[in-house]
Amino acid sequence: MQRVRMWTSIMFMGLGVSLVLADGGYGTNKAMASGAEGRQKSSIVTQLYQNECASCHMAYQPEFLPKRSWRKIMKGLENHFGADATMDPKDQATLSKYLQENASDAKRTSHAATKLTRSIPKHSVLMRITEIPKFKREHREIPKRLIKQEKVRLLSNCVACHQRAEKGLYGERDIFIPNYGRWED
Amino acid sequence: MKYSALYLLVGMTLVSAGGNMDAYMSTLEKEARLADPGFNGFEYSRGEKIYFSKHRGKRGKIVSCSSCHTENLSASGKHLFTGKVIKPLSPFANPQRFSKVKKVKKWLRRNFKDVYKREGTAQEKGDVLTFMMRRK
Repeated sequence: MQRVRMWTSIMFMGLGVSLVLADGGYGTNKAMASGAEGRQKSSIVTQLYQNECASCHMAYQPEFLPKRSWRKIMKGLENHFGADATMDPKDQATLSKYLQENASDAKRTSHAATKLTRSIPKHSVLMRITEIPKFKREHREIPKRLIKQEKVRLLSNCVACHQRAEKGLYGERDIFIPNYGRWED
Repeated sequence: MKYSALYLLVGMTLVSAGGNMDAYMSTLEKEARLADPGFNGFEYSRGEKIYFSKHRGKRGKIVSCSSCHTENLSASGKHLFTGKVIKPLSPFANPQRFSKVKKVKKWLRRNFKDVYKREGTAQEKGDVLTFMMRRK
């Protein structure tokens, strides 16, 4: 009997852990956000970010916009640049938290992100990375026809030219513009 | 004893993770019958019409489901506005399709709003699902 009870309690512990993991279990236990469990949890969140956001566009690194921008974006998903991008309220809360915690003004950012976000005026709440002043300056020399072409279409299509954009790499050596080639300043 | 508990646990995990499409279809069927007592099952042809008919969508442009998912459901589509490639909609070409109810519900809600500027009714959802799941 003792044995059976022991096994049952182990089962329930197992069930508890899997439930926490299944719903993202986000923010319920700060101490857990370290080591292997932390990594596993963060990969669940980035997977969620991929699923909810990257079906239509690249999963832009959150560090390219400040907290105030992400807050506004996540509050207006019913009309997200003209599309409905609503999601399960729990998923939305998880992603909002993820975006806040990884925004440009929440942590140390990469060189590329720092370079751009430094130029954002203090009180403006930009909705697009492509509206960042430094982003515009960096892209202004590209001829319109190279942007308008079918393989690129929009400046928001980072991966069209920055071949490793999804990994957060925007260096010059990774730039290849379709029907043009390498871009050198 | 300990094995039966284990099986129970595994079984519960599978059921909660699977979220099964048949159950969702019969829920839609019940809802459709509730809204219209004369409802006589979902129809492929009505679904086909929902998929191909054009409407002034959320962005003010004339669009249909096929604007992004293409007229050939076994081919890859392309997001009309961002240009991002969309994997084929037909489960014959893309077995991942219609395997997760949560995902199906989300995209029906989003895309009805994009094309019809409103949510679909239970009957409309069932009709268009019937079409999309059978069309090669």
